[in-house]
Amino acid sequence: MPTRAEPPPLLSRRLVLVTGKGGTGKTTLAAALAQAAVAQGKRVLVAELGRDAALPRLLERTPRPLGYPERQIAPGLFAIHIDPFEALAEYIGLEIGLPGLVRRVLANRGFRQLMEAAPGWRDLIALGKVWHLEQMREAGAPRFDLLVVDAPATGHGVTFLDVPRVVMSAVRAGPLRHHTEQVEALLLDPRRTLVLPVALAEELPTRETISLVERVRQLGLPIDRLVVNGLRPRPAPEEVGDLAAWLERVPDDLALGALPRPSRMAACVRALEARHALCQRYTRELLERTGLPIVALPYLVEGIRGEADVAVLARHVLASPIEAWR
Amino acid sequence: MSEGMDRLFARRILVCVGCGGVGKTTIAASLALAAARTGRRALVITIDPARRLANALGLAALGDEPSPLPRDQLAALGVPPSGSLHASMLDQKRTFDGLVERLASDPATRRRILANPIYQHVSDALAGSVEYSAMERVYELYERRDQDLIVVDTPPAQHALDFLEAPQRLLEFLDSRLVHLLIHPAFSAGRLGARWFQRGTRLVLRLIEQVSGVGFLEDVSEFLLAFEGMAPGFRQRAERVRALLRSRETGFVLVAGPEQESVTQALAFLARLEGFGVDLQGLVANRVRLWPDESLPPRGDARPEDVAALARALAAAAPPGRPASQAAEAAAQCVAGYAALVRRDERALGALRERVVAGGQRFWCAVPELSQDVCDLESLSRIGAFIAARAEEMA
Repeated sequence: MPTRAEPPPLLSRRLVLVTGKGGTGKTTLAAALAQAAVAQGKRVLVAELGRDAALPRLLERTPRPLGYPERQIAPGLFAIHIDPFEALAEYIGLEIGLPGLVRRVLANRGFRQLMEAAPGWRDLIALGKVWHLEQMREAGAPRFDLLVVDAPATGHGVTFLDVPRVVMSAVRAGPLRHHTEQVEALLLDPRRTLVLPVALAEELPTRETISLVERVRQLGLPIDRLVVNGLRPRPAPEEVGDLAAWLERVPDDLALGALPRPSRMAACVRALEARHALCQRYTRELLERTGLPIVALPYLVEGIRGEADVAVLARHVLASPIEAWR
Repeated sequence: MSEGMDRLFARRILVCVGCGGVGKTTIAASLALAAARTGRRALVITIDPARRLANALGLAALGDEPSPLPRDQLAALGVPPSGSLHASMLDQKRTFDGLVERLASDPATRRRILANPIYQHVSDALAGSVEYSAMERVYELYERRDQDLIVVDTPPAQHALDFLEAPQRLLEFLDSRLVHLLIHPAFSAGRLGARWFQRGTRLVLRLIEQVSGVGFLEDVSEFLLAFEGMAPGFRQRAERVRALLRSRETGFVLVAGPEQESVTQALAFLARLEGFGVDLQGLVANRVRLWPDESLPPRGDARPEDVAALARALAAAAPPGRPASQAAEAAAQCVAGYAALVRRDERALGALRERVVAGGQRFWCAVPELSQDVCDLESLSRIGAFIAARAEEMA
């Protein structure tokens, strides 16, 4: 593969939008990025847009639900759940006032159901809030050095990022047009923004990630690497050769103390090798089909139980991405 | 025929539920194939199969009309002549269109609804309405009585059981005061509070109109007006579908993965299913790391003397020069590593298993993780046979 200039450091941006298929570990990656940035002394805000509030469990010793506006959850680390109705109330409040009336209308169940039917506004208002947070200043400096957004799952994830463009084609003038332009400018600015897809080395997530990357490129959004989560290590060094077959040549009734019989050991080796081979195959496919370098995150046997596990991933997140398949 | 299988396949409909990424489609297809092998006419309705699985089921080309798998392929897998397997892939959008087409009172209404921009977003509008329309399609196929058993793969959704509540929610919405205010402003204009509320709502809606594109309010009113006429038919059908899902004709199979997140979600599903009063047949834990025999997986690292003994045995079993002690180290590590995975899965699934079995006559089945992606009928057949065998043991 041709060598490329290494992409700029992950945390040099102001805004990282973590996106990917559901179940690939978007929230975990967002938490790991945030933790890594805090460790570098940055002031970080993580924003969760979905309804499943997993972030506190990953970042806090005693998890408490996230709300609106943001709250500090650790030194240098803030988190917010961007509820579209809250963000809408805030926006309308800032633009036209009448907070009492606006709140009353927004609290109505029928109104909320009706609003659920309206296309696009939730995404736009959430992105608008992200922009608003990016713009916040404190004593002349940005209030947050880095914003990490746990974006909606793909399918929906790309529509989400396309909303400002769609709105701009429909709205020709006025404050909304003006605000949307600013949101769009932030999203398209490679110095400030990065779209960071996360994938698993499995068939469906690989397929969806490849089409996600295509779409992100069509939209002109900044993208420079992929994260592949849950990669399994090579079970035995290459020079050992086919370990399972070798074990199967050992007489199966041989006493080996507390070790299982050779055929059972061979079965363990084969199971691990099969998973490793699938990881390799889909990682290679992702590299070849997207042309993007890959940041590999290891599979953690016990899953992600809390801060300590997130810290393990945080160490890998900032590593130089793999450029080509060895 | 055997008792366990008979119980599992005694229903006319089996609904597979579970969160995304656990292999629901695979399990649904495996169950349908297993049913065909007992001589039943089985149909599997899938939602979004992986490409190679779709190919295996002959779904690559076809839409939502059930199509049969070739007789000779089925015979090779042990399906007797009386058994058959059809597969269909649900086109969610078309299904919803079909619902409108059936319920709309006249062609003009139908056209108005289908062309309405809000209609295009109704699926987002009421969480679960797409899932519900999938159930509508199942109901339709059920009424045809072409099949002994219909196995349904449910859509991956954030709240995957929404289809059970969706019709109710849609009806409530149509009945709500706000909708009446929007559709028939004249009726409720008498009350001052209502008028104020209406004015406020319209103000906010107009603001939102700018955000979401032009003409939103108008589109909504038009959609609601058109849909209003459909409400009685919709209500009637919704009630019939609901009754079918809760009847003895329908069983539910919960599918879960061994990951902690999946187990947590499965426990939540379980509680909701029980809340709805539907019949949970059992749980399939998919892609579980199982120990290769009946013995218990060893704990901790291997003893150095055992590894040394293994190195000697490996050296004796290979031509000289191969790195036997390195191989012995690697083998011991693989054993410890795989044993840790097996124990992790056991631990994670333990609580779920207890909960499922406590519910009485339910089967529990852990399907081992296969070394390849499941993408052919043979693997489906293996998984199906595995589940069937477990159902037997439980009977």
